[in-house]
Amino acid sequence: MTQSPENSGRETPVPSAATLEKELEKGWKDHRSGVRPSSVSSITDDDGEGRMVMNFGPQHPATHGTLRSIFTLEGESIVEADVEIGYLHTGFEKLGENMTYQQWVTVSDRMNYLSAINNNVGYSVAVEELLGIEVPPRCAALRVIMCELSRIADHVLCVGLQGMDLGAFSVMLWAFEKRELVYDIIEAVCGARLTTSWTRVGGIMRDVPEFFPDLVYSFLDEFPPIIEEIHGMLLNNKIFVDRVKNVGTVTTEQARSYGLTGPIGRSSGLDVDVRRDRPYLGYENYDFKVPLQTEGDSFSRYMQRMEEIEQSLEIIRQAMATLPKGEVVHDDFKTSLPKKDAVHKDMESLIHHFKLVMLGHGIRPETGKSLYSCTEAPCGELGFFIASDGSDTPYRLRVRPPSLYNYGLFPRLVEGGMISDAVAVLSSFHVIAGELDR
Amino acid sequence: MKSRSWSAKTASTVESMVVEMSAQHPAYDALPADLQSKIFEVFEHQGQVGMRCNAADQRTLLEHFRLSQNYDFLVDVTAIDHLGKDAPERFEVVYMLRALQSNHSFFRLHVWLDERLASLPSVFDLWDSARWGERETHDMFGIVFDGNPDLRRFLMPEDFPGFPLLKDYPLKGRDERRQFPKVVARGDRMVEEEPDPYPTSIGRQMHTPDYIEEVRRDSKPRE
Repeated sequence: MTQSPENSGRETPVPSAATLEKELEKGWKDHRSGVRPSSVSSITDDDGEGRMVMNFGPQHPATHGTLRSIFTLEGESIVEADVEIGYLHTGFEKLGENMTYQQWVTVSDRMNYLSAINNNVGYSVAVEELLGIEVPPRCAALRVIMCELSRIADHVLCVGLQGMDLGAFSVMLWAFEKRELVYDIIEAVCGARLTTSWTRVGGIMRDVPEFFPDLVYSFLDEFPPIIEEIHGMLLNNKIFVDRVKNVGTVTTEQARSYGLTGPIGRSSGLDVDVRRDRPYLGYENYDFKVPLQTEGDSFSRYMQRMEEIEQSLEIIRQAMATLPKGEVVHDDFKTSLPKKDAVHKDMESLIHHFKLVMLGHGIRPETGKSLYSCTEAPCGELGFFIASDGSDTPYRLRVRPPSLYNYGLFPRLVEGGMISDAVAVLSSFHVIAGELDR
Repeated sequence: MKSRSWSAKTASTVESMVVEMSAQHPAYDALPADLQSKIFEVFEHQGQVGMRCNAADQRTLLEHFRLSQNYDFLVDVTAIDHLGKDAPERFEVVYMLRALQSNHSFFRLHVWLDERLASLPSVFDLWDSARWGERETHDMFGIVFDGNPDLRRFLMPEDFPGFPLLKDYPLKGRDERRQFPKVVARGDRMVEEEPDPYPTSIGRQMHTPDYIEEVRRDSKPRE
């Protein structure tokens, strides 16, 4: 099945079959030292052993992003798997070293673009912890509500895509429809659907509109039936169940050692949830369970997400019932932006605003302090390690993306399975390329 | 315990640090005596505890934290580049640990690393998550983790010579873009030109010997 390299438009000579064989003999692990990979065709017969190297991605519908897997196949079985990431590498950490603390909130939207609010909140919480400031109760409650809404949207989309990959297309469409309810709320709150940039260090951009409770309560009424509907569509679908049960099983030990967090870690029995273990934004005041599965296969990851959606709904109900009144921005305007109308009217606010937004002023944490702070994003533990040198930009801003460490186990999991199992595992892992590569 | 400024410390003051340090911090007291001497600073910020040590003691300490103190979850590995700052060494490699099975406590180990050495023993056998954590740190800073079985390029292309998170790597400009092969028209065909030679301003040549050899072979004098 050797493809002719003539189409690739290179002037390099056509590699002879012998050269190609020699290259492949060296294996994919060594190909960086030899011929560039693009000059070896993507699907090639190996030398007589019946093995074949196949690229799965980076532009494949089932990868849902720019993920490239390199599978060595024997027939349809994967004997060796390797992944290459970085196709969406954008240098967010380098940008963070050259932007002020407030500016980087915008960049954090682009990480996990399916639940941008969780990134905003995670980053803001990290900077606030570094500065040692606490947000007002109303701001904390609103952040919790929006985070949980965003988590529901992320989970329901993941489940929908899992269905779509495994032959249940309607589930994806139904999931997208219900996900729009969440995006309506997000749009009403911050004006954008995906790139929210909603939080600020020390608060949120503005208070929610008056009709916000109506939107959330109608969402709480409308959404729960879809859980039963999705369960009905998928659990009665023999094809879906057969393709995910006992496929891609993660043991608890593996989950702990590879650093898996979030639904993937919890579905394999690793009892870890930052919201409960290290509460932030007043999560300790809400009564919710952390669901746990024991099997660790793709099916339990599906069940885990569905159970987490129910818990998130529960948190939203409680937070709405006890939503306090008051300010939504921390009142120390040395670190948080004053209200815009106050900036127009009184001198002091104008000075604070000027000091915060002008380059070279801004928020300045203490010299030499560093902090690792983490929050529970839909994919798992989203951590930020910030080291400060006393200037208005972070000296080092490290993002610990949950998708990165979750994905680290993927090549080990699919080895020994079929290609179709790899699709089932990948869709249940829900790896977001924007967050993976940053 | 009041945290101490790290910027004022130099290698000559390490001895006095050991004597005066740590008003009996619980994390420090939990260490056996022979390991206490390897720690030369304990710091705490917003309740998060960290310790600093030298590169030579990194493996011993991490083994102790993994096996004796049961920090069973390596959250992340990363590094800080202190180029031009008043720091004992250029690199500071940070290990972030958590004890899941006991009390979910957080702990960080900061390791000073000499720029000329730029290599540390890998800890992938203690935590599997170090495989990719170290690989990314290698990709971004050029630090070599000895023993890591898979220390290839991670986020950057495999033929990329620079290390983007070093402080002397430019944020923008010609030096970055010229690393990528150019496609130019030659006759009626579009062909790929070889990338420009290795610009010496990007990073330092602190890679594996054969890599450095390869870079030297490829580089031509600049005009």
